[in-house]
Amino acid sequence: MSLKRDLPTSTISGFALSASLILTILNILLHNIPNNIQTAGDELLKLNATEGVANAVTTVVVYFRGFDTLGEIAVLFIASLGLGLMLDENKQCDLKAKSNFMLQTASKLLFPIIMLFGIYVMVYGHLSPGGGFQGGVIIASGILLLLISFNEFEVPHSVVSLLEIFAGASYVIIGLIGLLVLDRFLGNFLPNDISNMGMLLSGGIIPIIYIIVGIKVGSEMSVISENLIKRCEDV
Amino acid sequence: MFEFFNQSEVIKVIIIIGSMSIFFVGLFGLVTQKHIIKTFISIAIMESSVFLLFIGLSYKQSFLAPILTDGQQNFNNMNDPIPQAMILTAIVIGMAVLALGVSFAIEYYKLTGKTDIDEMTTLKG
Repeated sequence: MSLKRDLPTSTISGFALSASLILTILNILLHNIPNNIQTAGDELLKLNATEGVANAVTTVVVYFRGFDTLGEIAVLFIASLGLGLMLDENKQCDLKAKSNFMLQTASKLLFPIIMLFGIYVMVYGHLSPGGGFQGGVIIASGILLLLISFNEFEVPHSVVSLLEIFAGASYVIIGLIGLLVLDRFLGNFLPNDISNMGMLLSGGIIPIIYIIVGIKVGSEMSVISENLIKRCEDV
Repeated sequence: MFEFFNQSEVIKVIIIIGSMSIFFVGLFGLVTQKHIIKTFISIAIMESSVFLLFIGLSYKQSFLAPILTDGQQNFNNMNDPIPQAMILTAIVIGMAVLALGVSFAIEYYKLTGKTDIDEMTTLKG
Protein backbone atom coordinates (compact mmCIF):
# COMPACT_ATOMS: atom_id res chain seq x y z
CA MET A 1 0.00 0.00 0.00
CA SER A 2 1.67 3.12 -1.13
CA LEU A 3 1.22 6.40 0.64
CA LYS A 4 0.81 8.30 -2.59
CA ARG A 5 -2.33 6.47 -3.64
CA ASP A 6 -4.13 6.82 -0.32
CA LEU A 7 -3.22 10.36 0.65
CA PRO A 8 -3.16 12.90 -2.18
CA THR A 9 -1.37 16.20 -1.78
CA SER A 10 -4.57 18.14 -1.23
CA THR A 11 -5.39 16.01 1.83
CA ILE A 12 -1.96 16.54 3.36
CA SER A 13 -2.05 20.26 2.70
CA GLY A 14 -5.56 20.40 4.14
CA PHE A 15 -4.35 18.73 7.32
CA ALA A 16 -1.43 21.14 7.56
CA LEU A 17 -3.67 24.16 6.94
CA SER A 18 -6.22 23.15 9.58
CA ALA A 19 -3.47 22.35 12.08
CA SER A 20 -1.86 25.76 11.61
CA LEU A 21 -5.25 27.50 11.91
CA ILE A 22 -6.02 25.68 15.17
CA LEU A 23 -2.56 26.55 16.48
CA THR A 24 -3.08 30.22 15.65
CA ILE A 25 -6.47 30.33 17.38
CA LEU A 26 -5.09 28.57 20.47
CA ASN A 27 -2.16 30.97 20.56
CA ILE A 28 -4.50 33.97 20.54
CA LEU A 29 -6.62 32.36 23.28
CA LEU A 30 -3.58 31.56 25.43
CA HIS A 31 -2.32 35.13 25.30
CA ASN A 32 -5.62 36.43 26.63
CA ILE A 33 -5.85 34.16 29.70
CA PRO A 34 -5.54 36.23 32.90
CA ASN A 35 -3.02 34.99 35.39
CA ASN A 36 -5.16 34.35 38.44
CA ILE A 37 -8.38 33.02 36.99
CA GLN A 38 -10.86 31.58 39.49
CA THR A 39 -11.87 28.01 38.63
CA ALA A 40 -14.13 25.41 40.17
CA GLY A 41 -11.04 23.57 41.31
CA ASP A 42 -10.11 26.39 43.69
CA GLU A 43 -13.48 26.12 45.40
CA LEU A 44 -13.05 22.35 45.66
CA LEU A 45 -9.56 22.82 47.11
CA LYS A 46 -11.09 25.01 49.83
CA LEU A 47 -13.82 22.41 50.46
CA ASN A 48 -11.25 19.63 50.46
CA ALA A 49 -9.74 20.82 53.73
CA THR A 50 -13.00 20.02 55.51
CA GLU A 51 -12.82 16.32 54.68
CA GLY A 52 -9.44 15.59 56.23
CA VAL A 53 -7.85 13.89 53.21
CA ALA A 54 -4.37 14.94 52.16
CA ASN A 55 -4.75 14.06 48.45
CA ALA A 56 -7.17 16.45 46.77
CA VAL A 57 -7.49 14.33 43.61
CA THR A 58 -8.69 11.40 45.72
CA THR A 59 -11.31 13.59 47.36
CA VAL A 60 -12.57 14.79 43.99
CA VAL A 61 -12.68 11.29 42.48
CA VAL A 62 -14.17 9.41 45.44
CA TYR A 63 -16.19 12.01 47.33
CA PHE A 64 -17.26 15.00 45.24
CA ARG A 65 -17.67 12.86 42.12
CA GLY A 66 -18.33 9.60 43.96
CA PHE A 67 -21.54 8.82 42.10
CA ASP A 68 -19.67 9.25 38.82
CA THR A 69 -17.02 6.77 40.01
CA LEU A 70 -19.78 4.27 40.77
CA GLY A 71 -20.93 4.59 37.16
CA GLU A 72 -17.35 4.23 35.96
CA ILE A 73 -16.97 0.96 37.85
CA ALA A 74 -20.24 -0.17 36.27
CA VAL A 75 -18.82 0.62 32.81
CA LEU A 76 -15.70 -1.41 33.60
CA PHE A 77 -17.85 -4.29 34.84
CA ILE A 78 -19.98 -4.23 31.68
CA ALA A 79 -16.83 -4.25 29.50
CA SER A 80 -15.45 -7.22 31.44
CA LEU A 81 -18.80 -9.00 31.17
CA GLY A 82 -19.05 -8.43 27.43
CA LEU A 83 -15.48 -9.59 26.87
CA GLY A 84 -16.14 -12.73 28.90
CA LEU A 85 -19.29 -13.43 26.90
CA MET A 86 -17.47 -12.98 23.59
CA LEU A 87 -14.34 -15.01 24.35
CA ASP A 88 -15.50 -17.67 26.81
CA GLU A 89 -15.72 -20.67 24.47
CA ASN A 90 -12.22 -22.13 24.34
CA LYS A 91 -11.22 -21.69 27.95
CA GLN A 92 -9.42 -25.04 28.39
CA CYS A 93 -6.73 -24.36 25.79
CA ASP A 94 -3.15 -23.65 26.74
CA LEU A 95 -0.87 -20.94 25.49
CA LYS A 96 1.01 -21.75 22.33
CA ALA A 97 4.48 -20.77 23.49
CA LYS A 98 6.00 -22.47 26.53
CA SER A 99 7.64 -20.15 29.00
CA ASN A 100 11.22 -20.89 29.98
CA PHE A 101 12.83 -21.54 33.34
CA MET A 102 14.12 -18.01 33.88
CA LEU A 103 10.69 -16.43 33.42
CA GLN A 104 9.12 -18.91 35.86
CA THR A 105 11.76 -18.33 38.57
CA ALA A 106 11.69 -14.56 38.17
CA SER A 107 7.91 -14.43 38.32
CA LYS A 108 7.90 -16.54 41.52
CA LEU A 109 10.33 -14.01 42.97
CA LEU A 110 8.53 -10.90 41.70
CA PHE A 111 4.89 -11.80 42.25
CA PRO A 112 4.74 -11.16 46.05
CA ILE A 113 6.56 -7.85 45.65
CA ILE A 114 4.17 -6.70 42.92
CA MET A 115 1.15 -7.67 45.03
CA LEU A 116 2.59 -5.87 48.07
CA PHE A 117 3.24 -2.74 46.02
CA GLY A 118 -0.27 -2.82 44.57
CA ILE A 119 -1.84 -3.14 48.00
CA TYR A 120 0.37 -0.31 49.27
CA VAL A 121 -0.71 1.99 46.43
CA MET A 122 -4.35 1.06 47.10
CA VAL A 123 -4.28 1.61 50.87
CA TYR A 124 -2.30 4.86 50.77
CA GLY A 125 -4.44 6.35 47.98
CA HIS A 126 -5.69 9.17 50.21
CA LEU A 127 -2.21 10.24 51.31
CA SER A 128 0.05 9.89 48.27
CA PRO A 129 -0.20 9.71 44.47
CA GLY A 130 -2.03 6.56 43.48
CA GLY A 131 -5.25 5.00 44.60
CA GLY A 132 -7.71 2.28 43.80
CA PHE A 133 -7.52 2.33 40.02
CA GLN A 134 -3.73 2.37 39.90
CA GLY A 135 -3.31 -0.24 42.64
CA GLY A 136 -5.88 -2.51 41.03
CA VAL A 137 -4.07 -2.35 37.71
CA ILE A 138 -0.73 -3.14 39.44
CA ILE A 139 -2.30 -6.22 41.06
CA ALA A 140 -3.71 -7.28 37.69
CA SER A 141 -0.23 -6.94 36.17
CA GLY A 142 1.03 -9.43 38.78
CA ILE A 143 -1.73 -11.84 37.77
CA LEU A 144 -0.76 -11.30 34.12
CA LEU A 145 2.85 -12.23 34.97
CA LEU A 146 1.60 -15.51 36.45
CA LEU A 147 -0.57 -16.12 33.39
CA ILE A 148 2.31 -15.78 30.93
CA SER A 149 4.69 -17.79 33.13
CA PHE A 150 2.69 -20.86 34.12
CA ASN A 151 0.50 -22.50 31.53
CA GLU A 152 -1.55 -24.36 34.13
CA PHE A 153 -2.36 -21.22 36.14
CA GLU A 154 -5.96 -20.07 36.13
CA VAL A 155 -7.61 -17.14 37.84
CA PRO A 156 -9.80 -18.61 40.62
CA HIS A 157 -13.21 -17.59 39.31
CA SER A 158 -15.20 -18.34 42.45
CA VAL A 159 -12.93 -16.09 44.56
CA VAL A 160 -12.91 -13.34 41.92
CA SER A 161 -16.70 -13.30 41.53
CA LEU A 162 -17.13 -13.23 45.33
CA LEU A 163 -14.72 -10.28 45.52
CA GLU A 164 -16.58 -8.42 42.77
CA ILE A 165 -19.96 -9.00 44.42
CA PHE A 166 -18.58 -7.87 47.78
CA ALA A 167 -16.94 -4.75 46.35
CA GLY A 168 -19.85 -3.58 44.21
CA ALA A 169 -22.44 -4.23 46.92
CA SER A 170 -20.46 -2.55 49.69
CA TYR A 171 -19.93 0.58 47.55
CA VAL A 172 -23.70 0.99 47.18
CA ILE A 173 -24.35 0.05 50.83
CA ILE A 174 -21.86 2.63 52.12
CA GLY A 175 -23.53 5.23 49.90
CA LEU A 176 -26.98 4.31 51.22
CA ILE A 177 -25.77 4.44 54.85
CA GLY A 178 -24.53 7.94 54.10
CA LEU A 179 -27.98 8.76 52.74
CA LEU A 180 -29.62 7.48 55.94
CA VAL A 181 -27.23 8.94 58.49
CA LEU A 182 -26.51 12.24 56.75
CA ASP A 183 -28.44 14.08 54.09
CA ARG A 184 -26.91 12.76 50.87
CA PHE A 185 -25.70 9.70 48.98
CA LEU A 186 -22.10 8.84 49.94
CA GLY A 187 -22.16 11.19 52.93
CA ASN A 188 -19.06 10.97 55.07
CA PHE A 189 -20.52 9.44 58.24
CA LEU A 190 -17.29 8.11 59.75
CA PRO A 191 -15.07 10.44 61.84
CA ASN A 192 -13.09 12.71 59.53
CA ASP A 193 -11.27 15.08 61.82
CA ILE A 194 -8.96 17.63 60.20
CA SER A 195 -6.39 17.15 62.98
CA ASN A 196 -5.80 13.60 61.72
CA MET A 197 -4.98 14.78 58.20
CA GLY A 198 -2.00 12.84 56.87
CA MET A 199 -2.50 9.81 59.10
CA LEU A 200 -3.42 6.40 57.70
CA LEU A 201 -6.74 6.37 59.57
CA SER A 202 -8.23 9.64 58.37
CA GLY A 203 -10.83 10.89 55.97
CA GLY A 204 -13.76 8.74 57.09
CA ILE A 205 -15.21 6.64 54.26
CA ILE A 206 -12.91 7.94 51.50
CA PRO A 207 -10.01 5.43 51.91
CA ILE A 208 -12.50 2.59 52.43
CA ILE A 209 -14.25 3.40 49.15
CA TYR A 210 -10.94 3.67 47.31
CA ILE A 211 -9.86 0.24 48.62
CA ILE A 212 -13.21 -1.17 47.41
CA VAL A 213 -12.61 0.40 43.99
CA GLY A 214 -9.15 -1.19 43.96
CA ILE A 215 -10.50 -4.67 44.71
CA LYS A 216 -13.10 -4.32 41.95
CA VAL A 217 -10.66 -2.97 39.34
CA GLY A 218 -8.02 -5.59 40.19
CA SER A 219 -10.39 -8.53 39.84
CA GLU A 220 -11.96 -7.19 36.65
CA MET A 221 -8.60 -6.47 35.00
CA SER A 222 -7.35 -9.96 35.95
CA VAL A 223 -10.39 -11.56 34.32
CA ILE A 224 -9.96 -9.37 31.20
CA SER A 225 -6.29 -10.38 30.87
CA GLU A 226 -7.12 -14.05 31.32
CA ASN A 227 -9.88 -13.89 28.73
CA LEU A 228 -7.64 -12.19 26.20
CA ILE A 229 -4.64 -14.46 26.73
CA LYS A 230 -6.26 -17.93 26.93
CA ARG A 231 -7.43 -18.81 23.47
CA CYS A 232 -7.07 -21.72 21.10
CA GLU A 233 -4.96 -21.36 17.99
CA ASP A 234 -7.32 -23.42 15.85
CA VAL A 235 -8.93 -20.55 13.92
CA MET B 1 20.09 28.47 27.86
CA PHE B 2 16.82 26.89 28.95
CA GLU B 3 15.27 30.02 30.46
CA PHE B 4 13.35 30.56 27.23
CA PHE B 5 11.51 27.27 27.70
CA ASN B 6 10.67 28.13 31.30
CA GLN B 7 8.08 30.76 30.38
CA SER B 8 4.45 29.85 30.87
CA GLU B 9 3.30 30.55 27.32
CA VAL B 10 6.21 28.67 25.75
CA ILE B 11 5.44 25.60 27.88
CA LYS B 12 1.79 25.71 26.86
CA VAL B 13 2.60 26.07 23.17
CA ILE B 14 5.03 23.13 23.43
CA ILE B 15 2.32 21.03 25.12
CA ILE B 16 -0.24 21.96 22.45
CA ILE B 17 2.11 21.26 19.54
CA GLY B 18 3.27 17.97 21.06
CA SER B 19 -0.17 16.62 21.87
CA MET B 20 -1.50 17.77 18.50
CA SER B 21 1.30 15.95 16.70
CA ILE B 22 0.50 12.78 18.67
CA PHE B 23 -3.15 13.29 17.67
CA PHE B 24 -2.19 13.53 14.00
CA VAL B 25 -0.03 10.40 14.29
CA GLY B 26 -3.14 8.56 15.49
CA LEU B 27 -5.32 10.14 12.79
CA PHE B 28 -2.78 9.17 10.13
CA GLY B 29 -2.88 5.58 11.34
CA LEU B 30 -6.68 5.63 11.39
CA VAL B 31 -6.84 6.90 7.78
CA THR B 32 -4.14 4.72 6.23
CA GLN B 33 -4.21 1.38 8.07
CA LYS B 34 -6.73 -1.25 7.06
CA HIS B 35 -6.13 -3.85 9.81
CA ILE B 36 -8.88 -3.52 12.43
CA ILE B 37 -6.64 -3.90 15.50
CA LYS B 38 -4.32 -1.20 14.12
CA THR B 39 -7.42 1.00 13.86
CA PHE B 40 -8.16 0.48 17.54
CA ILE B 41 -4.55 1.22 18.48
CA SER B 42 -4.73 4.46 16.46
CA ILE B 43 -7.84 5.51 18.37
CA ALA B 44 -5.99 4.78 21.64
CA ILE B 45 -3.09 6.99 20.52
CA MET B 46 -5.51 9.83 19.72
CA GLU B 47 -7.07 9.42 23.19
CA SER B 48 -3.68 9.64 24.87
CA SER B 49 -2.97 12.93 23.09
CA VAL B 50 -6.18 14.38 24.51
CA PHE B 51 -5.14 13.25 28.01
CA LEU B 52 -1.78 14.96 27.61
CA LEU B 53 -3.44 18.17 26.43
CA PHE B 54 -5.81 18.29 29.42
CA ILE B 55 -3.16 17.60 32.03
CA GLY B 56 -0.64 19.91 30.41
CA LEU B 57 -2.99 22.87 30.08
CA SER B 58 -4.11 22.56 33.70
CA TYR B 59 -0.50 22.90 34.86
CA LYS B 60 0.33 26.27 36.38
CA GLN B 61 3.89 27.30 36.92
CA SER B 62 5.33 27.36 40.47
CA PHE B 63 2.17 25.66 41.70
CA LEU B 64 2.37 22.36 43.55
CA ALA B 65 0.66 19.01 43.09
CA PRO B 66 -2.61 19.02 45.08
CA ILE B 67 -1.35 16.73 47.84
CA LEU B 68 -0.47 17.84 51.36
CA THR B 69 2.96 16.64 52.43
CA ASP B 70 5.19 17.46 55.39
CA GLY B 71 5.25 21.08 56.44
CA GLN B 72 2.20 22.20 54.46
CA GLN B 73 -0.89 23.36 56.26
CA ASN B 74 -3.37 24.39 53.57
CA PHE B 75 -4.20 23.95 49.91
CA ASN B 76 -3.05 27.36 48.74
CA ASN B 77 -0.99 27.62 45.54
CA MET B 78 -1.88 24.15 44.33
CA ASN B 79 -2.88 22.94 40.90
CA ASP B 80 -6.45 22.29 39.87
CA PRO B 81 -7.43 18.70 40.84
CA ILE B 82 -10.48 18.49 38.56
CA PRO B 83 -8.69 17.84 35.22
CA GLN B 84 -6.60 15.10 36.84
CA ALA B 85 -9.70 13.40 38.27
CA MET B 86 -11.53 13.67 34.93
CA ILE B 87 -8.59 12.22 33.01
CA LEU B 88 -8.44 9.36 35.52
CA THR B 89 -12.05 8.59 34.58
CA ALA B 90 -11.33 8.95 30.87
CA ILE B 91 -8.33 6.59 30.98
CA VAL B 92 -10.43 3.84 32.57
CA ILE B 93 -13.26 4.30 30.06
CA GLY B 94 -10.78 4.28 27.16
CA MET B 95 -9.25 1.05 28.42
CA ALA B 96 -12.68 -0.59 28.68
CA VAL B 97 -13.62 0.50 25.16
CA LEU B 98 -10.30 -0.76 23.75
CA ALA B 99 -10.63 -4.17 25.45
CA LEU B 100 -14.22 -4.62 24.26
CA GLY B 101 -13.34 -3.56 20.70
CA VAL B 102 -10.40 -5.95 20.54
CA SER B 103 -12.63 -8.79 21.76
CA PHE B 104 -15.15 -7.98 19.00
CA ALA B 105 -12.32 -8.00 16.45
CA ILE B 106 -11.07 -11.40 17.70
CA GLU B 107 -14.55 -12.88 17.54
CA TYR B 108 -15.16 -11.47 14.02
CA TYR B 109 -11.87 -13.00 12.90
CA LYS B 110 -12.90 -16.36 14.37
CA LEU B 111 -16.23 -16.27 12.52
CA THR B 112 -15.16 -14.97 9.12
CA GLY B 113 -11.35 -15.00 8.95
CA LYS B 114 -11.20 -11.34 7.91
CA THR B 115 -9.16 -8.54 9.48
CA ASP B 116 -9.34 -5.97 6.67
CA ILE B 117 -11.96 -3.32 7.31
CA ASP B 118 -12.59 -2.91 3.59
CA GLU B 119 -13.74 -6.54 3.39
CA MET B 120 -16.21 -6.25 6.27
CA THR B 121 -19.24 -5.84 4.02
CA THR B 122 -21.54 -8.41 5.60
CA LEU B 123 -24.25 -5.88 6.43
CA LYS B 124 -24.10 -4.09 3.07
CA GLY B 125 -26.67 -6.32 1.39
